[in-house]
Amino acid sequence: PLSVSPAADPAVISPQDPTLLIGSSLVATCTVSPDFPLKAEDLYWTLNGRRLPAASYAALGPSTLSVALARLNGSRQQSGDNLVCHSRDGGILAGSCLYVGLPPEKPVNITCWSKNMKDLTCKWAPGTEGETFLHTNYTLKYKRRWYGQDNTCQEYHTAGTYSCHIPKDLALFTPYEIWVEASNRLGVAVSDVVMLDILDVVTTDPPSDVHVSRVGDLEDQLSVRWSSPPALKDFLFQAKYQIQYRVEDSSEWKVVDDVGNQTSCRLAGLRPGTVYFVQVRCNPFSIYGSKKAGIWSDWSNPTAASTPRSERVAGGCDPKGGEQNTTLRRELKQFFGWVKKHAYGCSNLGIKLYDQWRVWLQKSHKTRNQV
Amino acid sequence: GDSWGIFTFLCAALCNLPALPALNCSEELGAGQSIQQTYDLTRYLEHQLRTLAGTYLNYLGPPFNEPDFNPPRLARAERVPSATVDLDLWRGLTDNARLAANYRAYSRLLCYLRVLDGQVGTAELRHRLAHFCASLQGLVLSIGGVMSSLGYPLPAGPAGPPAPPGAHAAPNDFLKKMDDFWLLKELQTWLWRSAKDFNRLKKKVPPAVVTLRLEARGF
Repeated sequence: PLSVSPAADPAVISPQDPTLLIGSSLVATCTVSPDFPLKAEDLYWTLNGRRLPAASYAALGPSTLSVALARLNGSRQQSGDNLVCHSRDGGILAGSCLYVGLPPEKPVNITCWSKNMKDLTCKWAPGTEGETFLHTNYTLKYKRRWYGQDNTCQEYHTAGTYSCHIPKDLALFTPYEIWVEASNRLGVAVSDVVMLDILDVVTTDPPSDVHVSRVGDLEDQLSVRWSSPPALKDFLFQAKYQIQYRVEDSSEWKVVDDVGNQTSCRLAGLRPGTVYFVQVRCNPFSIYGSKKAGIWSDWSNPTAASTPRSERVAGGCDPKGGEQNTTLRRELKQFFGWVKKHAYGCSNLGIKLYDQWRVWLQKSHKTRNQV
Repeated sequence: GDSWGIFTFLCAALCNLPALPALNCSEELGAGQSIQQTYDLTRYLEHQLRTLAGTYLNYLGPPFNEPDFNPPRLARAERVPSATVDLDLWRGLTDNARLAANYRAYSRLLCYLRVLDGQVGTAELRHRLAHFCASLQGLVLSIGGVMSSLGYPLPAGPAGPPAPPGAHAAPNDFLKKMDDFWLLKELQTWLWRSAKDFNRLKKKVPPAVVTLRLEARGF
């Protein structure tokens, strides 16, 4: 059963909801409304649920009690510290939210990229190493150099907390000025302006349909083929590619840099009878004839293949484990060959699928170990 | 436990797609089944609210997140409909009145929650609130569906936008925190009460209808 609620607020606190710099001091007063039969000595204060010492109180009038708070720490929660004036029995008479913190620092490290010249995504880092303790708002702004209007980015958090995505209405062949404004209750900080042309920060999708296959019986070679990313057709840029590959149980990638703009490449000098993982990525360059390179795409998903091993080689330098592996693979190949002949609808089963499975197994082992 | 909740929420969410209060879902299934679904939805929401309230009260900070916190309800306009009602009065409610009270209450509560969503600080809280509002919208539609299938008219809800957002706003941040606290408390009380309301309604729907439907579904 609720007690009868009075018409007026029982008491008033001053200052109400102030904003303060860390380390500052504050004297707050609680004045009981004349309708209430309470005196200053009937009151006490709490801050975030903890009772404040009576030594910090002072009666400023018959129904006004003050409290002195010195060297305030940053707010415990971004919604503000709860400073409450209570009556003797614990009842709440009034409260005030204290916002104690620091003004924001200039956001830094603004980096942007455009997917296929269609949009622009930028990310940045907040200037402060530590916290501001106050809710800080970030706004990304951009404008065409020499042309009036500032525009504000609307889609935030697309590539992490401090990021924003501009989906359309971007002009090419014109420099843009981009900056980030950070603001909170204590102030505003503006980053340095970054100037760029969309064409300078273009990236694209990774190559698709990456196939890795053997080169006949050659034990030390693999052939890699892929399709150029679809956007290549629509825009006037060329693509250059990079391949990286590694042996199944190594984490060291070898990079092939001089692939040029071909969509195939032969890897040589490989170890026989070994499973390799291969990835390809793409860099759009010479966009509309400029000599500059763009930004490398993500790597394609790893594709696996194995180099053949001639049966006559007797063990060689492989440890016992390697031998077992070869026997297993040989048997599996024979099994799949038999399956293809005798089972219908199993045409996808083959040594290639087995290799893909091994890639997946490696990946899931890695993530399991990372946890 | 959890899978039931997800199932009922999904159904409510699916029924959410047309903006009409009459659910295709419930008309097909019959009143008995929709009452059961509505009941299950209130239990699911109750569960969701526990997590949401915990996070939100921690955001407000102590003393709001202390278990024995019980601030006065100051005399400001009675915005949030109260779930507490005299026991005899509650027992004597007609089915129509019982359903209408639930429908009206959750419609109002949804409005207030949505306002909250626009103001809250952290991204995590906004995300949880948005999710909860979607579920609550599902509950309102579910209740509407039960009413329609039983032939009752929907109460003239808080039609259109309520009074301009500034009208009932708390005059200071601390009072706003108290309003938020009471909003969550009322939501909790309503969900407790609704479970009892729908339990009662379950018993009153002709059992034949319920049995037939259950058999058809092979439960």
